[in-house]
Amino acid sequence: MKRNLFLALSLLILASMALAACGPAATSAPAEPAATTAPVEPAATTAPVEPSAPFEGMSVAAPNCDYGGEFKSIEAVDEFTVKVSLCVPDPAFPSKIAFSSFAIQPAEHLEATGGSPLENPVGTGPYQVTSWERGNQLVFSRFDGYWGEPAMSKTLVFRWSTESAQRLLELQSGSVDGIDNPGPDDFATIEADSNLQLIPRPALNIMYIGFNNNPKVDGFDNSKNPLANEKVREAIAMGIDRQRIVDNFYPAGSEVASHFSPCAIPNGCVGEDWYGFDAAAAKALLAEAGYADGFETVLNYRDVVRSYLPDPNIVAQDIQSQLKTNLNITVKIEVMESGAFLDAADSGKLTGLYLLGWGADYPDQTNFLGYHFGAGSSAQFGDKFPDIVEALDKGAQLASDAERAPFYEAANNAIKQHVPMIPVAHGGSAVAYKAGLQGNPHSSPLGNESFAVMGNGTDTFVWMQNAEPISLYCADETDGESLRACEQVTQSLLGYEIGDTAVEPVLAESYEANSDLTEWTFHLRQGVKFHDGSSFDANDVVTSLAVQWDAANPLHKGNTGAFSYWSGLFGAFLNAPAQ
Amino acid sequence: MANTISTLNAEALSLESVSLWSVTWKRLLRRKSAVVGIFILGLLIFIALTAHWLAPYDPTASMLDIPGYTGQATKRLPPCIHLLGCSQEEPQHIMGLDGNIRDEFSRLLYGARLSLMVGFATVTFAIVIGTVLGALAGYLGGWVDNAIMRVMDVLLAFPSLLLAIAIVTVLGPGLINALLAIGIVSIPAYARVMRSSVLSVREMDYVSATRSLGGNAYDILFRRILPNALTPLIVQGTLGIATAILDSAALSFLGLGAQPPTPEWGAMLGSERNQVFTAPHLVFYPGLAIMLTVLAFNLLGDGLRDALDPRLAHVS
Repeated sequence: MKRNLFLALSLLILASMALAACGPAATSAPAEPAATTAPVEPAATTAPVEPSAPFEGMSVAAPNCDYGGEFKSIEAVDEFTVKVSLCVPDPAFPSKIAFSSFAIQPAEHLEATGGSPLENPVGTGPYQVTSWERGNQLVFSRFDGYWGEPAMSKTLVFRWSTESAQRLLELQSGSVDGIDNPGPDDFATIEADSNLQLIPRPALNIMYIGFNNNPKVDGFDNSKNPLANEKVREAIAMGIDRQRIVDNFYPAGSEVASHFSPCAIPNGCVGEDWYGFDAAAAKALLAEAGYADGFETVLNYRDVVRSYLPDPNIVAQDIQSQLKTNLNITVKIEVMESGAFLDAADSGKLTGLYLLGWGADYPDQTNFLGYHFGAGSSAQFGDKFPDIVEALDKGAQLASDAERAPFYEAANNAIKQHVPMIPVAHGGSAVAYKAGLQGNPHSSPLGNESFAVMGNGTDTFVWMQNAEPISLYCADETDGESLRACEQVTQSLLGYEIGDTAVEPVLAESYEANSDLTEWTFHLRQGVKFHDGSSFDANDVVTSLAVQWDAANPLHKGNTGAFSYWSGLFGAFLNAPAQ
Repeated sequence: MANTISTLNAEALSLESVSLWSVTWKRLLRRKSAVVGIFILGLLIFIALTAHWLAPYDPTASMLDIPGYTGQATKRLPPCIHLLGCSQEEPQHIMGLDGNIRDEFSRLLYGARLSLMVGFATVTFAIVIGTVLGALAGYLGGWVDNAIMRVMDVLLAFPSLLLAIAIVTVLGPGLINALLAIGIVSIPAYARVMRSSVLSVREMDYVSATRSLGGNAYDILFRRILPNALTPLIVQGTLGIATAILDSAALSFLGLGAQPPTPEWGAMLGSERNQVFTAPHLVFYPGLAIMLTVLAFNLLGDGLRDALDPRLAHVS
C-alpha cells in the first residue's frame, strides 16, 4: 500500500514536471509583456524636479550619412528651438514628424521607465491616463494644465469589443457614446435610428492580398514556391474578380482599388490601372508558368475588423472560392492571432497568400508606397524589387507633386509588373455616435478621432473600438487601436487637423526649412506642461526622437524594440547592430 | 384449440430465442422519449447518407460561381420558400443564403454528415483506446493500474474543452486534429467505466472457471469479461457522442475545428455570430440542428441506460 502511494506520488510529480517543461514554450509570448512592464510601475509618473540650471542643449548626430537612414542630426539650439538635419531632401517631413509615433514625452520619464513607458505615457495632450484595467477598460482624465482648449468631458473611457454586434448593442442601449466600425450590415439600422448618427469615414486605406516571393522560413524551398514566379502572381491578379468582392462584401462608400494607394493621396493613382478580371487569360498565364492544374497554398489573415476589411472571414472564403473556380488553386485558410500574424508578415514568415491592409497615417505616398515597397520596408513581400525602390527613393526627395508624378507613375507600373500584392479595395467605413452630442463628433480619415472636442453633457464620455491597445508607447506600435489611445494623451511637434489630413502646428508653433529641404527648424510652444508637471523644452524633443533613432541608446527599448514607423518612414537606425 | 397451441409454441420458442438485444430493443420502444431520439437520429442518418441527393446546391459554391444562376445573389438573403409566397421566379432557398452567398440549406444537410462522422469517429476512437487501457488497468492491477489511472486522472482534472483547445493549439487547427483532441479528452471516461466493470467481474466464478480451465489472459479479458462489461460502455458511448458533437461544434465556433469552407454547424454559427439581429436565420438553423442532434443522442442514451439495466426490467 505504501509503495503504491509512493508510486502514485512520484508519477504525479513526474507528470507535473513534464507539464511544467512543456508550459513555457507555449506561454512565453503572453508572459513577456508583463515581464517588461513590471519595472515601470513604481511611481514612475513623478519625474525628478529639475533644478533651474542654465539650459544645456542636447544633440545627437550621425557621423555621416552612410548608415542608410534619413536623419543626420537632431539638435536643441536653445530651450525652445530644435533643428533637424536630414541626409536627403524630404518634402513630406512635416507630415511624417506630425505622426503620433513621434510624440514627445519628458526625457526624465523615458529614463525613469527604461525607455518603455508602455502603460503610463506622459504627454502634453488634453487627457492623461488614469488607469488601464487590462482586458476591461482604459480610463483617461482631463488634464487641467493643458495648453490648448480643455477637453469637454472630465473622464474619457475606452472600451473594446471585436464583435460588431456587441458594439452596436452597447451604443443602442446607451452604455457607450460612440463606436468604431459598425458592421456593414448595420449601417442601415443606425441611419434609421433617430437616437444615433452615422458618420462615414473616407476610404483612405487599402486592402491587399500579399505574397512573399522569398519567405524567410527555415527549410523552405523557394525554388518550388509557385508564388516566387511573377507569372503566377500575375495570373492570380487577373483571376480574382475584385469588383465582385467589393460589390458583395463591402459597405457603401468602398471602391475597387485601381492602384495600391487611394486616389485622394497626391499622385496616388498615376500609372496604369490594375489588371482587369479575365479568368481565361489568367488560366492561360498560369499554364504558361507551368501550373496548368493549379497548386495548393495557404491564405493567412487575422480575424479582426478594420476599416479596410470589414468582414475578413467572408472575404477570405470568397477569394478561396474564386481561386478554386477560376484557377483550380486550392487554398487552405489559416486564421492567425492578430499580433502573431503581423509579426509573421513583417518578418517575412508567411509562405502563402495573406490578407492585410493599411490605413493612411498621413496623406503622402511615402506612407503608402514608401512604407511598403521602399528601401526601409519590411520583409513582408520578400526580396525587394530594385526598380520600385529606385523610383520611390527619387520621388520621395522631390518637393512638388508635379515633379514627383513621373517617379510614382514608374513605381506604380513596376508594382503592376511585379505583383508583390494585389490591391483589392479601398474600404469605406464609419463611426457611429449617439445623436445630439455636443461639440464636434467626427470621423477622421486617418482613424485618429480626437475625443477632447466632443461631449455628451455629462462628465464621462465612453468610446468603444475594435480591440484593446497593445501598449500606450506608440513609438513602437503600429496598430491603429493603440495609436488612437495614444493620440488622446501624447502630442507631436506637428499634428493633423481634426477630422482631416492637413498638417497643423501643435507643440511647435512654427517651423521652417532651408531651400533644399534638408534642414528643418522648429520653434517650440512655450509654457507647455507635461502631465507630470514638468515643463516641455527642446531636450525632451531631442530625447524622444533620439531614443527611436539611435539603436545604441540605452532607452531604445520600446515594446518589441521594432520601432517600425521610424524605420518605415526614416530608413535605417543609427548604430543599428550589424546583421 | 389449434390457435392456443400455436401461441403456446410461439411463446416457448420466443422464450428460448430471446437475446439481450431484442429485449433491450423492446424495452427501448416502450419509452416515448427514446423513440423520439431514435426517430431524430434515423432522420439525421438518412440525411447524412443522402445529402448529395437532397442538397439542391453544392454546399461550398457561391451562387456567383454557379453558371446560369438567375436568382438574386445577395449575401444573407432571407429564406425564400415558394409555398410560403416567395416569388416563383426566384430560385428556392429554404433557409436563405449565407454571408458568402451559399445555400444555407445545402450546407446544413452536409453538416449533418460531418457532425455524425465527428460523433461516431471520436467516440469509437475513445472507446477503443479507453477500453484497452481500462481493461489492462483493471485486469493487471498493481503498478500498471496505478500508472494508467493516474494519467487518466490528470486528463480528467482539466476542463475537457480547455484541454481540447490546448491539444488543437499544439497540433494546429483542422477537423481531423479537433477529432483527435476530442477523442483524447474523452478517453478517461471509458477507461474508468471499463476498469470498474473489469474489477467487479474479475473475481466472478465463471472467470475463475475459465482460468482454471487454462484460458489465457486474452480469452479471459475479451471472451469473458468484455461482453459483460459492454452495457455501461454502450450507454456511456451514446451519451458521449452528444458531448463530442457539442465539443466539436464549440471548437469550430472558435475557429479551431473545421476550416472554411467546410459546412460544419459550429463553424457556420461562428462565422455569422455578428448577424444575430440582421440575419437571424443564419444563426437559428445551425443552432437548431446542433440542438436536435445532441438531444437525439441524449434521449437515446437515457433510454438505453434504462433498457439495459436488469434491475429496471420489471419497472418498464
